[in-house]
Amino acid sequence: MKTKKKMRFDYWTVIFIAPALIFYLLFLIIPAVSSTYYSFTSWNGLDKAMNFVGLANYKELLNPSNTRFIGAMIRTFIVAIAVALGSNIIALILAILVDRIKICKGFFRSAFYIPVLISGIVSGFIWKIMYNTNFGVFNHILSAIGLDQLKNDWLGNPRTALASVILTVLWQGVGYYMIIYLAGLQSVPEELMEAAEMDGATSWKKFWRVTFPMLAGSITINMTLALINGMKVFDQISVMTSGGPGFSTETMTYYIFKVAFGESRQGLGTAASIILFIFILVFNQIQSKALRSREVEM
Amino acid sequence: MKRKKQRIGSVVNTIITAMLAFLFLFPVFYAFMSSFKTNGEILKSPMALPSSLNWDNFTYLFQETNFIQAMKNSIIITVVSIVLIILIIPMAAYGIERKRSKATNLIYSLFIAGMMIPFQVYMVPLFKELKTFGIFGTMAAPVVIYIASTASFGVLLYCSFIRGVPKELEESAAIDGYGKMRIFWKIVFPLLKPCTSSMIIINSLSIWNDYLMPSLVLSSETGSTINVEIFSFVDQYTSRWDVVFSGTTCAIIPILIVFICLQKHFIKGIAAGAIKG
Repeated sequence: MKTKKKMRFDYWTVIFIAPALIFYLLFLIIPAVSSTYYSFTSWNGLDKAMNFVGLANYKELLNPSNTRFIGAMIRTFIVAIAVALGSNIIALILAILVDRIKICKGFFRSAFYIPVLISGIVSGFIWKIMYNTNFGVFNHILSAIGLDQLKNDWLGNPRTALASVILTVLWQGVGYYMIIYLAGLQSVPEELMEAAEMDGATSWKKFWRVTFPMLAGSITINMTLALINGMKVFDQISVMTSGGPGFSTETMTYYIFKVAFGESRQGLGTAASIILFIFILVFNQIQSKALRSREVEM
Repeated sequence: MKRKKQRIGSVVNTIITAMLAFLFLFPVFYAFMSSFKTNGEILKSPMALPSSLNWDNFTYLFQETNFIQAMKNSIIITVVSIVLIILIIPMAAYGIERKRSKATNLIYSLFIAGMMIPFQVYMVPLFKELKTFGIFGTMAAPVVIYIASTASFGVLLYCSFIRGVPKELEESAAIDGYGKMRIFWKIVFPLLKPCTSSMIIINSLSIWNDYLMPSLVLSSETGSTINVEIFSFVDQYTSRWDVVFSGTTCAIIPILIVFICLQKHFIKGIAAGAIKG
């Protein structure tokens, strides 16, 4: 009886799981696993034969004299950390403001969320024009308020290009994290706030002692998401700067694309992508450990 | 006294929020405004309103470029992918969740493992594989890739929802002689509506807005998608920002309409997706 039941169940389980699993294996897992092999070849993307070159690609990438890739790694970290910290701080401030507002709450919530709906390509283009030296909005405003000396070629100047791209990424993503913080804020029990008030806590104290600890879960989610999204930024870079000027905005994702498709070195690009993947895993592990332990403490 | 202080606080709060909202929405207004301006107006007075409602840019966009084809492609790819995703993924999650065993636990972990893998990691072998299958350069390619890349998050989300569905309903339906398929689609699936709507919203948005993959996978015969087309305009019409801006307006308007109609679902869907995930 028991075995018969199990048999019948398994047959249905297979029918239910198989379609999704087949797509998933064929178009994600199998290529992802084979990319480890590709990363040991010097394949150019066209030839039938793939030359096995061992660790040569990794050696080339991680060679300290390869300043282009080392630079791309450093910029990837800069972008990821700037996006993670920036979006969380701004999103939390916006969430608190919107949570307290009495009129048109829905409107304000949507206003901050609308950039999330827009694609990286479209927002990249809009900001690229706004940053333009001669015709852009930023320089236009600066000269209108008499600060001509601050006018700048925002994306053409290697010193401001990366920061300008980061600002665009922040603008676009912040609304998403704000929604998660808003949901977190709404789950803070009213009684807790009232009790704190009875004890004579100031708003400042109430925030740090009551609200903030209650948001630990939302902070973990948002930090993890923002960090990974920051490491994966690609669309804005490709439309705004194509990695330039020089290599000053080239991050790992853009480097991988450039090397694999621009320079037809797909073996090398795949090796770089595996390094990116390892970074994502390590980053994520460290962070979730750090944040989770804090959650428990509280 | 305290009342008064609170009221002042609330007014200040509203003013600050309104100013920030204006700053956030400005780039979107700017894009809309610019799509109705002539190129000369965009260059001369970037902040001014358009002198008149000028539809020339849109006429040019629809008649002289492949934008309409790109819009059609974007719609087809998004709709077909979403329909298939919703047909396939909840079933898999149900299969895993209702029969927890060593094998299904392993499959579950395998699905979850994919969540961290960025597209760049598997794109090169994937393209070669698609060429072997003969679907590289066709509309089927992005669809199968989207199904695969959505599976991880989808299985996670649906499994966590299915865990909350009481088994009794299914058991009594089984006694009434319902088959497994019918139990799932008639009884369980309707109970997963919040999960399904958040899946549809999150994934249609990311498919509609995707750029890198379709730019590499689609061929010139099938035509591209909206974002790929806009990207090519940026290079092609370096001196015709007005045309590019009308393209961006056409890309934003459909999502904005859907968002305004389904606002509540959006907000709920995002929050539910993130928290369950």
